Amino acid sequence: MRHSLLSLFGWCALTVLGFAQAPPPGATVNTNGTAGDYKSSTAEGGADRIFNVNSDSVDMENGTMQWKGTTMNLGNSRAVRARFERYLAAPTDNGDMKRYVALLDQIQLLLSAQSINQDNYYRNQQEAFNLLFKAAEYDIDAGSSLTIASQVQKVWVMKQEFRQIEISKAQLDTLRKVQEGIIINRADNIEAANDARSDGSSKSKPLGKASSGTTELGYKVKDVARTEAEILARNAEMTALGLKAKIEFQSQMVSFLMARRYRHSLITSSFYRVLFKGGSQNIVVGAKEVKEFFPISDFVPTLESFDMLSREAIKDTSKGMQTVDDLVKQGELYGAFERLQETFFLGEFEPVVMSYPQEKKREMLALWKDLRELQRLGDERDLGSVEGYVNKVRGRARDFPGAPILSKVTNAMNASNMSLLSAKGAALAGDTAKAEAGLERAAKIWPQNPGVKDFATQVVSRQDTMAQMVPQFDRLFADAKWRDIYNNKVPFGLALAQDKERSAKLLKVIGRIGELDFKIQKASVLFTENNPYLAWDVIVDAYKSESDDLVLAKTRADISSRVGAYSGLIDSAEKLEKDGAEAAALTAWLAAQDLNPPSTICGAAVKRLAKSVAESAVIRATGAVPAPPSEPAAGDEVPVPPKK
Amino acid sequence: MSKINPLFFALGIPVVVIVILVAIVAPRMGGGGKFAELTPFSAEKYRNDWSSLQGNSYRLDCQVEQQLAFVEGRGRVLAVKPIEKDSSRPAGRIPVFVPAGSADSFEVGQRFRCKLRVTRDLLVVEALERF
Repeated sequence: MRHSLLSLFGWCALTVLGFAQAPPPGATVNTNGTAGDYKSSTAEGGADRIFNVNSDSVDMENGTMQWKGTTMNLGNSRAVRARFERYLAAPTDNGDMKRYVALLDQIQLLLSAQSINQDNYYRNQQEAFNLLFKAAEYDIDAGSSLTIASQVQKVWVMKQEFRQIEISKAQLDTLRKVQEGIIINRADNIEAANDARSDGSSKSKPLGKASSGTTELGYKVKDVARTEAEILARNAEMTALGLKAKIEFQSQMVSFLMARRYRHSLITSSFYRVLFKGGSQNIVVGAKEVKEFFPISDFVPTLESFDMLSREAIKDTSKGMQTVDDLVKQGELYGAFERLQETFFLGEFEPVVMSYPQEKKREMLALWKDLRELQRLGDERDLGSVEGYVNKVRGRARDFPGAPILSKVTNAMNASNMSLLSAKGAALAGDTAKAEAGLERAAKIWPQNPGVKDFATQVVSRQDTMAQMVPQFDRLFADAKWRDIYNNKVPFGLALAQDKERSAKLLKVIGRIGELDFKIQKASVLFTENNPYLAWDVIVDAYKSESDDLVLAKTRADISSRVGAYSGLIDSAEKLEKDGAEAAALTAWLAAQDLNPPSTICGAAVKRLAKSVAESAVIRATGAVPAPPSEPAAGDEVPVPPKK
Repeated sequence: MSKINPLFFALGIPVVVIVILVAIVAPRMGGGGKFAELTPFSAEKYRNDWSSLQGNSYRLDCQVEQQLAFVEGRGRVLAVKPIEKDSSRPAGRIPVFVPAGSADSFEVGQRFRCKLRVTRDLLVVEALERF
């Protein structure tokens, strides 16, 4: 029993200060080398603060609390989280808090050494006892004062019993003395009779009874022994009663300390001091746990040790609430929230905590819910939503340290995307094992990475699509549908990864359309910069090799409206050259060059055709060249030089 | 001994000379020049339908713009710009072929009048004079 009581006290030695803590508000991202592990713990950022022995703090993650340099295990974090949330959501206790506190102070004053003396010893006790019932009328008291009153009354009753036992013991003592007197008397008679008999034996008196009265003496001795045993029993009963009363009272005192009802612990201690004599002031219950707060060798816990702990807790609670108020006034809601949390676990039942205004608690509750949600997002590694929630919390509490969280989120996202990229590269190279590892790593860091889902879908459907993609690729390639192949390069890439020959073809097509797109882009830029002729040159050049491309055709149509004459000359020149009329083609190219002097295709065509014309001119002159492909419709319409 | 007034000679000889000179220069000043009998070449007609001009000879006044090609023993191709009377409608450049037999030199900016023959689509310079 004693052991379990001590264990219980140990559990709360400073559960006195709170329960298991709620998980840390907010979330932080913890990335490590490869996995980029993302853990929820706003407390992580405050690790220094938590383990600073000079500061009181609550470790949300491990369910411990630091107070006065001592770390206390607070137990089940879910229960504490619920308790704190309930406190924030619950309406503030009604009643005159000042009057209640004054009542408790009055009780302590009545029992204090400065007030109590020989004359008012009983009167003050009675008055303090009566005030306990008044204090119990307040809701905030929760009947704790009645418990003390009950305990005090029990001690008074025990004291009465004690007096009864003492009376009984005194009567037994008297009886024992009477019995001892009788025994002595009887023994004296026997001794006298024996002496007389010794004297008569020399005178040869007739034989008679040698000794009488010894039997009676034996019974009387037994009576005395019985009486002494009863006295000893009364003594033992008195000792047991005293010890029982002492332990019960001390247990109650410790219970109040455990329950963080510091003021009631102080009152119990005061009553104890008055009710029990000096020899019973040593601490029996909870001594070991109290020693932990005083890291001094050979420390002897006393009632004052308990009182000091209670007073320190009351003072710290009061200071904590002042800090909360001050931070709220300065708009630092997050800091205020953390201080309130610590203060709540330290002095949950302190009037100053219980009477904290409801509208402020509501504000804290809203922040608490946002932080919880942020933590949940962190736990689930929903990195995409973290930023939004961090900003939401920042909007509510401008002092919330969101930058480190966002930084770690960004790092984790990048790590996930890099792993995904690596997986895609491996998949395209046909290294399935590496691709799977990369995908798994990317998903572990950021499970909801949209790229992971897309890639996973592609990988899963890869085998199914293989059978369709290969013939489709062959058909498009045979039909020279380069653009169609290019538009499906990723599916084709995945499907043809193992087929080296087709992969090479695919890469060739991708390069070809990539180059064409570059030319189209270049032409578009030139066109928008009001250089339509140069844009047309680019289109003409591209059109020679990719005349079936729809994108090119569309761009060509867009530009052609601004280069009608120029394009007409080029078309005409190409047609004439094709028909063998190189000199006429050269004329057309020269006209086009007049319109667009910097044109490289005009310059090249002029140079090429001029050389060709010069080389073939004599042959032409001799008529060895083929006849012109198209004769005029009316051959007789050849103009005749006018006669002068 | 005839008695012809010396004044007659003094005035008559210069007049005769002037008349002769006018007879020689006037046709050239009128636009005909050496190839006045030929029809002026129309670059526009050539571009539109060169085949209709095949075999004809024309007169062309032009300015050398650029030598496009030169083949030893064959000739050269020049880009020339026709000199139009109506300067508001400048004609574009056209290529003409000068066969290798010509001993003339051509510099950019030089002006000359030539006789062109349209040989198939090629404009061949058969004769020319500078001006």
